[in-house]
Amino acid sequence: MSEHLKDELEFTGTDTYVLDDELAKVVNTAIKLELPLLLKGEPGTGKTLLAHAVAQNLGTDLLILNVKSSMKAVEALYQYDTLTRLNDSRFGDSSRNVSNIEDYIRMGKIGQSFTTDKKVVLLIDEIDKADSDFQDDLLDVLDIMQFDIQEIDKTVKAKNRPIVIITSNAKKDLSDPFLGRCVFHHIAFPDEEMMREIVKAHFPSVSQKLAEGAIEVFYRLRQVAGIEKKPATRELLHWIRALSTDPQFDVKHLKAKAPLPLLGLLFKKSDDLSRAQRVSLSGF
Amino acid sequence: MFQEFFYQLRDYGIPVRPTDFLRLQRALDGGLVQNLNDFYTVARTVMVKSERFFDIYDQVFAHFFEGKDIDLQTLDDLNAEMERLLAEWLADPENMPNLTDEEREALKNMDPDQVMEYFKERLKDQTERHDGGNRWIGTGGRSPVGHGGVHPNGMRVGGQGRNRSAIKVAMDRRFIDYNDNLMLTPEKIGEALARLRNLTPSGPRDQLDVDASIRETVKQGGEIELIFDKRLIDKLKVYIMIDNGGWSMTPYVHLTRSLFTYAKSQFKDVKFFYFHNCIYDVLYEDPMRYEKPVKTLDLMRKDPDTRVIILGDASMSPYELTHPRGAIDYGTPQSQPGIMWIRKVKETFNNTIWINPIPKHEWDYTYGAYTVELIRQQIPMFELSLRGLEEAVDELKAKYPKPLPPLERQAAR
Repeated sequence: MSEHLKDELEFTGTDTYVLDDELAKVVNTAIKLELPLLLKGEPGTGKTLLAHAVAQNLGTDLLILNVKSSMKAVEALYQYDTLTRLNDSRFGDSSRNVSNIEDYIRMGKIGQSFTTDKKVVLLIDEIDKADSDFQDDLLDVLDIMQFDIQEIDKTVKAKNRPIVIITSNAKKDLSDPFLGRCVFHHIAFPDEEMMREIVKAHFPSVSQKLAEGAIEVFYRLRQVAGIEKKPATRELLHWIRALSTDPQFDVKHLKAKAPLPLLGLLFKKSDDLSRAQRVSLSGF
Repeated sequence: MFQEFFYQLRDYGIPVRPTDFLRLQRALDGGLVQNLNDFYTVARTVMVKSERFFDIYDQVFAHFFEGKDIDLQTLDDLNAEMERLLAEWLADPENMPNLTDEEREALKNMDPDQVMEYFKERLKDQTERHDGGNRWIGTGGRSPVGHGGVHPNGMRVGGQGRNRSAIKVAMDRRFIDYNDNLMLTPEKIGEALARLRNLTPSGPRDQLDVDASIRETVKQGGEIELIFDKRLIDKLKVYIMIDNGGWSMTPYVHLTRSLFTYAKSQFKDVKFFYFHNCIYDVLYEDPMRYEKPVKTLDLMRKDPDTRVIILGDASMSPYELTHPRGAIDYGTPQSQPGIMWIRKVKETFNNTIWINPIPKHEWDYTYGAYTVELIRQQIPMFELSLRGLEEAVDELKAKYPKPLPPLERQAAR
């Protein structure tokens, strides 16, 4: 391998995160090219979990910026706590120096990821929730890895370039310039074989029979026509956990022409639920 | 390296960027790519930025690394095939095999040059997408010509590749579902709704509400409390005018109705109106088009900021659009040609768009191609697919929507 790409970090998966080769390659490409990785995919396919797994695997910290719809870009960088300063100036009973504005600057998640001494993983979760101004504002910051604190006229530079992972649930694409500065991956829905491994990784003690049966039923339920919100990996894992702890449950129940147990864990919309129940009654 | 691959991706409509291509070179230099499988993944992750293009990427990849020299061969094939087809057509235009009725209709109205163009386009399309070009009617393709659209049975490469696995993966076409120029179906209504959400104002709470702040501060005995509020933006009013005349429109009427009924809470006001084929003096609030007529002129006195969405296939006989008494239903009150009414609607409501359930690539060849074109000249038209909706929403929101073109005499013939 050549020198000018850093290759001391290589992501290989963890115990509970089942990684396919493709995804591993993508993550490592992002790390080596030092570009943010934009992840898309159905909700519940493990986008957020991937960031946890990367941090765990590389033995570093994970900072999570949960994007909210009302968020402004500067909040993710730093906050100037005017209110505390005002209070301090009136009561004067704090250890902070009121005339020093820097005492009242608090770093946001991105700011923290720039100022820590370690190379960390920064997860910007569900960036599509905020408006496009937010996305465009973050762009420059992540590109040049520095930002200005206007109030004290100071520039914060990243000590270590964090590994940036961005997730988006939106079907809509992000803005063009934004996409131009990321690498992109879409986490496809896992096939049955992959799913078996995922289930095994999460529940090593669950009986083979239960897992197999549940997965089979799960994939059939996903194919029921007219379902608006298809259950994803997350729902399946919850379902299996519930089934395995339910003392009344027997694997045979999955095969019988009877209502499937605990379907509410898979289907979160009442229309979908009743449809799934109807279908399961007729034995598909 | 791989410039040709890059340009092929571009040619097939994937918006790949030069900077990304350079990044790919860095990745290649950096030893990230050891074999073709790596290349498949790395090139995609660096250059293709939306899953909707994954399917096309797969196809181009399979095509490129199959090692076939497409250029020369297809060109020759093209010409030979062209001659054969033309001869066939000239010999017996009525009964040319392998044509659907629609296509036959379309061909009838063309002059020989147009026919030539038509075949050429079609062949090019087929040979580029399919291997070789001896299968000029795509087995599942229903569009006659159409650029950029992906044919359901597109790739025909198959066979022995030198590096099978990546190519095999590419040929599985795992991503066909993400191709979002597929037409809207009831299952996709949730997604469609999400795209409409862009129509509603949203943004950070960053406006200081002075009155509320003073009130709260006083309440807390001087402890300062700042209240922020969302910037004031009015919710939109939406009029939806639906052509529920012909049977062909029925499924889409229901789809659109439910779409906007779900979305109702996001808007200030959603109103439905119905017409048959074209808008004339009167629109109806009831789908039967009988009980609740509304004068179109009365509607035009309403808030010009209202967004108007017209849903219709825009396919009709030309005189229904251009003749002062051309309405298809006898007794329809009519004082002006339909096209003039359509212009008036757009003139009054700047943000007017037309949504057409006929796929865009068929607009030039559908039986109503003439009227589709005439209406498109007046009002921006979009297809009823997810991507079409997205573009439609942009146009509805636009501060400076596409202006109405000046009236051409000929249009109002």
